[in-house]
Order: sequence, then structure tokens, then C-alpha cells
Amino acid sequence: MVFFNLWSVLQWYLRPFIKWFLRKTTRLCELQRICYGDKPGAERSRNVEKSLMLSRTRDVKQVVSYLDNTVLERSFVPRNFPEILNPSVAIILRAKKINPKLHELFIVSFRRCLAQIWSYRLLLEEVEEMRKTHYDSSLPEHEEKLLKLWSLLVPNEDLESRVTKQWQYIGFQGDDPKTDFRGMGLLGLENLLFFASEYPQASSHVLSHSHHPKYGYTYAVVGINLTSMAYYLLKDGSAKTYMFNARQYLPNMNLFHKFYCYLFYEFDKMWIESKPENMMEFSIIFKKFENAIRNELADPASVFRINIEVDTI
Amino acid sequence: MGFLTILKKLRQKEKEMRILMLGLDNAGKTTILKRFNGEPIDTISPTLGFNIKTLEHRGFKLNIWDVGGQKSLRSYWKNYFESTDGVAWVVDCADARRLAACARELHALLREERLAGASLLVLANKADLPGALSAKDIREALDLDSIKSHHWRIVHCSAVTGEHLLDGMDWMLDDIASRIFSID
Repeated sequence: MVFFNLWSVLQWYLRPFIKWFLRKTTRLCELQRICYGDKPGAERSRNVEKSLMLSRTRDVKQVVSYLDNTVLERSFVPRNFPEILNPSVAIILRAKKINPKLHELFIVSFRRCLAQIWSYRLLLEEVEEMRKTHYDSSLPEHEEKLLKLWSLLVPNEDLESRVTKQWQYIGFQGDDPKTDFRGMGLLGLENLLFFASEYPQASSHVLSHSHHPKYGYTYAVVGINLTSMAYYLLKDGSAKTYMFNARQYLPNMNLFHKFYCYLFYEFDKMWIESKPENMMEFSIIFKKFENAIRNELADPASVFRINIEVDTI
Repeated sequence: MGFLTILKKLRQKEKEMRILMLGLDNAGKTTILKRFNGEPIDTISPTLGFNIKTLEHRGFKLNIWDVGGQKSLRSYWKNYFESTDGVAWVVDCADARRLAACARELHALLREERLAGASLLVLANKADLPGALSAKDIREALDLDSIKSHHWRIVHCSAVTGEHLLDGMDWMLDDIASRIFSID
């Protein structure tokens, strides 16, 4: 710990010298070295973010706080990118004395990094907002979502009433799901709903596993625990690997839902493979699963895809 | 010196206690545990399996086990009974609908041989919610006065505001301590 502190203090003083030295020898600023040298995706965008956050240049700091502000105003959306990113890139080019004609590639790549980094920050705000929205059974739009979840997961059976033991079939704890969302709020429900509607095959496959006579589990409640895992991975930045390596997409709510679906599908696989004695092993297997995911996310080259191979009999 | 005395002496050194936290699902067990441990309580999801926390309080080392309360998990509670010094039974004061089920589970628990001698603290939680029943209502609904086999106490508390939570815990610690650390 002491060593670590010492190192970070040292780094604080040494950083400008190292940067100056590299700038003189390579004739490139740090951002250019990252954008030209690091692989696109998580590696490059994470390093750009780090460099920007550590910067002591006034202009860079101003750009960062301006971008943060667009996140708070919820205006950092692709539609506004020209208006927001063009001036931001221009200021950095000027501050770092980069010739835009010579470094067109840098501009494209750097711009992409900015879009990823601040989309992630916006996503974090949106996810937090959704999580903080408690499930409220007096609101028709919340109730509709819940009923839709049922009809997607159990299409051939109607609910007998709003409060019924049938909910336990899809893994809620009691006869009214409203109390199960708890700290994850609407986010937990939206996650479950996305998995059921976008990956109907995978979700019904997972649901059928949850009814396994020996290795069965409570589908919805496990789902809510996975929402919590996805939320924490997003919040502490671990999910950047996933989000920044999703080539065609910028971090947004859809991508978060997809991340969740990936977690759900993989957790189910691990659970069944572990052949648990009973449900009480959940805490241990869940922790093991989280560690495995964290390990994967720690490697910036990891690319995540749901490999859905539904066994058809 | 018998074996038990040695055991007691050993435990005296460490002043360790094992507390089991049980109750129906959505009673607030995990929230109470986190509140007690000073962790944030706004991002909790339903407990599957169990949580365990070891914390120091008034010189005691407390091992608190929080086991999921969902119906399908209750049959596994018995796996956690061994050498329990105190049971914290958590009740949701705002859930009048399931009080009968709650009473049934509690009395079944108290018949367990392995919990004989354990102190019982009934945490009437969510007292801050509108429509929450009073401690007296809970006491009657759970028929606490009929309990002769265990030392018990009920506190009207709230994990969210934190009120009376410590009072309850302190009573349980004192009760346990007077029983297991008193032979000197």
C-alpha cells in the first residue's frame, strides 16, 4: 500500500518529464501516441480517457468539463455530435499543436474515443436514473411491463389474477413480484424484459433450465441479482471493455441490456455445469461467476458475444 | 474442568458470537445487516443463498449470517443452526397480510433443538413506513408472550432510518454475553 502511494506520487511528478521526453523524441503528443499505437476499442479509449483526466492543460480540462456538462444535460447523443465534438476536437488540436491536415487519421480515431467515453458516462447516468425509479404498482406503465414479461416468457398460459402464485413459475419469490425489484427498481424489470423480447430462444432456454428438477433456480430473482452485477460492473468502469469493444455500437441502454443478456446466459451455463447441491450454493457460484467475468473484462482484448447454441432435441 | 468449560474459556478469549438472521422474504434482513455494517442500503437485490459479515461491536466479534427468506430456501435454514448464539427474527411491520405465515415460521423455528438456549431478538422492521403495525400488534400477532423456551425481546425499528436497531442488538449481545462469557 505504501509502495503504491509512493509510486503514484512519483508518477505525478515524473509524468510531465516522461511526456516531454517522448514528445521530443517521437514528435507526437501522448494522445497521438495512444491513437496511433493502441488497438482501437477498449485499449485505446481507456488510455485516451486516462490521458485526458490526468491532463493539466487548461484547454483540455475545459473540454473535459464541457463534455461532462453535456452528459448532465443529457444532450450527448449522436444527433448532437457534430455540434459538440467538432469544437472539442478543434480545441485539443490547437492546444496540442497538431496539424489537422497531416493527422486526419488521428482526428477520426480521437473523435471516436471521445464519443465512446462520454456515451459511457451518459449511459451511467441513464442506468442510475432507471435503477432509482422504484417499481410502482399504481403506475399502469409499470404494470404493463410486468404483465408483458409474463406473456413473453409463458405465452401459453394466462395469469389468473395480478397477485398469484403463478409468478413463482418465472422465479419471483412470492405471489406479487413488486417487492422483488427492490434496489434495482425498474432497471431489473427492463433487463428481464429485454432478454425475453430480444432473445426469445435463449431466454426460454434459460427459463427451462431454471425448472430443472435438480439444478433448478428462481429465474427472475437470479435475473435481478445479475442486474445488480451488471450495474456495479458499469459503475466501477469494468464494463468499459465490453462497451468499447462493441465495434458497431456506442455505449447506450440497448448495449447495457445486451451486456446483461450475456451475463444471464453465461451464468446459467456456469450454474448448470457446477451441478450445485441446492440453491444455497448460489452465493458461492455467483461470486465465482463474477470473478470470472471480472478477469475477462480485465483483458482489454476481450470481445463478448452471446454464443447461443440452443440444444434442439 | 469439563470439555464445555474449556470451550467456553476458549470463546471467552475471542468473545465471538454467532448470530443468525432469519425471517420471511422482503423483511429487510440484508438491509439491516448492511446498515449495521455501515454499507449503502439502496442497491440491494433479493438474497439467494446467504450473506455473512464479521464485524466488531463493543469488543465482541460478531459473525452475522443472513440467509435468504424465500419459501423455497426456508428448508435450508436448518443448515445454519449449529452453534448459534442468537437469532434475529426480522418482521416487515407493513406486511400484515403475511403475519400469520411469519408467526408459523417463527414458532416452528423455536422448536428446533439446536437453537435451544439461543437469545431471540424480534426486529419489527420498517416501522417508518406508513401503515406499519405497532410493536404491540406484532407482539400479539406473533404470540411472543407464549415463548418460554428462549429469552426474547421485540424492538420497533427501521433499517432505513436506523432507529432502535442498535438498542435491539445491544440487548441481544448483553443477553448472550451474560450466558456464555459469565463463568469466571
